[in-house]
Amino acid sequence: MASKHSLKRNFKVFVVLFSLLISYGIQTAHAQSSAVPTDPKIISAGEELFKQNCMSCHRVQTQLVGPALKGVYDIKDLSWIYTFVKNPQKVIDSGDEYAVELYEKFKPTVMTSFSTFSDEQILSIMAYIKDQTDNPPAAAASTSGGGDMKAQPAAIPTPYVNAIIIGAVIILIVLLVVLVMIVNTLRSFLSQKDLSPEDAEFVAKPAGLATALRNKALIGIVTAVVTAVVVKGVIDSLYNVGVQQGYAPTQPIAYSHKIHAGQYKIDCNYCHTGVTKSKNANIPSPNICMNCHSVIQKGTNTGTAEIDKIYKAVETNTPIKWVRVHNLPDLAYFNHSQHVAVGGVECQTCHGPIEEMEVVRQYSNLTMGWCVNCHRETPLNTKGNGYYDKLVEIHEGKGDFTVAQNGGIDCAKCHY
Amino acid sequence: MKLMNAFKLLAATGAFFLIGCKAHDNNPGFEYAPNMYHSVAYEPLKQIMDKDAGKWVNSSGEDIGEYYSSNPNNPFSMNMRVPPANTVKRGEFLPYRIPKDSLEYASRVLKNPLTGDMDELTKEGGVLYGKFCLHCHGPKAMGDGPVGSPPADDPNGVPPFAGVANLQGAALKNITEGHIFHVITWGKGRMGSHASQLNQRERWEIAMYVKKLQNQ
Repeated sequence: MASKHSLKRNFKVFVVLFSLLISYGIQTAHAQSSAVPTDPKIISAGEELFKQNCMSCHRVQTQLVGPALKGVYDIKDLSWIYTFVKNPQKVIDSGDEYAVELYEKFKPTVMTSFSTFSDEQILSIMAYIKDQTDNPPAAAASTSGGGDMKAQPAAIPTPYVNAIIIGAVIILIVLLVVLVMIVNTLRSFLSQKDLSPEDAEFVAKPAGLATALRNKALIGIVTAVVTAVVVKGVIDSLYNVGVQQGYAPTQPIAYSHKIHAGQYKIDCNYCHTGVTKSKNANIPSPNICMNCHSVIQKGTNTGTAEIDKIYKAVETNTPIKWVRVHNLPDLAYFNHSQHVAVGGVECQTCHGPIEEMEVVRQYSNLTMGWCVNCHRETPLNTKGNGYYDKLVEIHEGKGDFTVAQNGGIDCAKCHY
Repeated sequence: MKLMNAFKLLAATGAFFLIGCKAHDNNPGFEYAPNMYHSVAYEPLKQIMDKDAGKWVNSSGEDIGEYYSSNPNNPFSMNMRVPPANTVKRGEFLPYRIPKDSLEYASRVLKNPLTGDMDELTKEGGVLYGKFCLHCHGPKAMGDGPVGSPPADDPNGVPPFAGVANLQGAALKNITEGHIFHVITWGKGRMGSHASQLNQRERWEIAMYVKKLQNQ
């Protein structure tokens, strides 16, 4: 019974092998496309697998990180594809001509091994690729220009301001013309009358700029206005001495925080590596730029012009001379990690909407009053920090335990 | 009268000059007591290379301006210096020595050295993942972060950074923590090395968090 069974099985195996051999012969004769299933169920299974596992590097119609996969089953036979997908490096190492050719074209990137894929799964992916090759999706209207279509920011747009000013000037000119006409009419009316000599002299006097300038009331008003403006200007600018708020220097590379931190939402800490660990937030060295710009060689705003400067810095091993924006005076001590890691302060609290700035500008005024104000108002971040347990206990029932109450406005906290 | 007018004019001009001293664009504005603003000691990330800067406040009688704060003995007169080769940092793990091409070996032999409250460490890893990985690999590690996914208006288009690995895909679902640690350290494929941004402890914490995401 057992031997009969095994005989039957052997026969089955033989039949399967034989049919495989025949189908293989047919396949090699008519390429492979006929061996790829067209069952919609298999195609949709393949689509799922393709999207999850292949799409980050491959497209069917176009080359991305790896080659375009259209018609791949016609280029190499299925068994080759199975072995390659399961372990590409091994096939390359074996000296396979086509695999080495591919490696040379796309090096140094080698495809990830998908050793857990079964032949059926790879075949279903082939089915999806065949489906996409035979029925390419209608080319979507390419509208992606990369530009943002956001409306202009709030506040009154410049054209309106200009229109208002031009309108006001026109009205003033019209008023002036009307006034001159009235004066002329009055004068011609008065000159026809009998007047005393004094009055006649007054009427005959030319009404020019010189007369106006000698008008006491006018001189008084102008002097008052000018003095007010000057005094206000002097006081304001004296308060601004030593305050660099609004400083937005041109940097050696036109790096845009708006694109990196705003559009692509890269965390500040990714580049400013010191911000949780050190006094300084740190300016990234080009090797951090190269984590992305090894691949992204063309920028949204400036094409290759600015990104090429990173490559040049890396090639020549020359430091990039960034211009420091926030120049806290040497007489005051400030530590980033104390505020960010311990205090849990957001970057934007002091630096403003950095993720919207094309060019970084100093947002806060960084004056002592500004520091002290925040220390007075901000409750200390004591959560989960055993260091503060006793201090919290002592300050219980005395309102918020602020930074100021913890010595945050003592002179020697920052000046030493 | 004329003298008065001339005086007023002078005051106005002076005021406008003062107003012009407010910081904007490339102009940092006036400094008050400038000799207390500029560090005498060498500062990292801050240096003035112009030897004449601050000559007008010189009190030392030297020929170099008081604000000059670069170290001429260093390459490019930088204030910072690269530590000597093979320096070992105190209080941290010994340097990681398995070379880049030995990923398979690393993923087989590397064991997570961290001890303590593993949940807490994984949570910290999650915070670090959000800062250092998420923009490419996405919140669920599916390779769909804003940098790694196609533009919103064209789902089949080319992402800004193509080739971001889907860590939930079949090929990477079962990788070890050691594998993740090795890849963060050295990079793989198009991904660069993140060793300069993350110390070993942080890399292990991220590896733990990625495993947690993969096992969910």
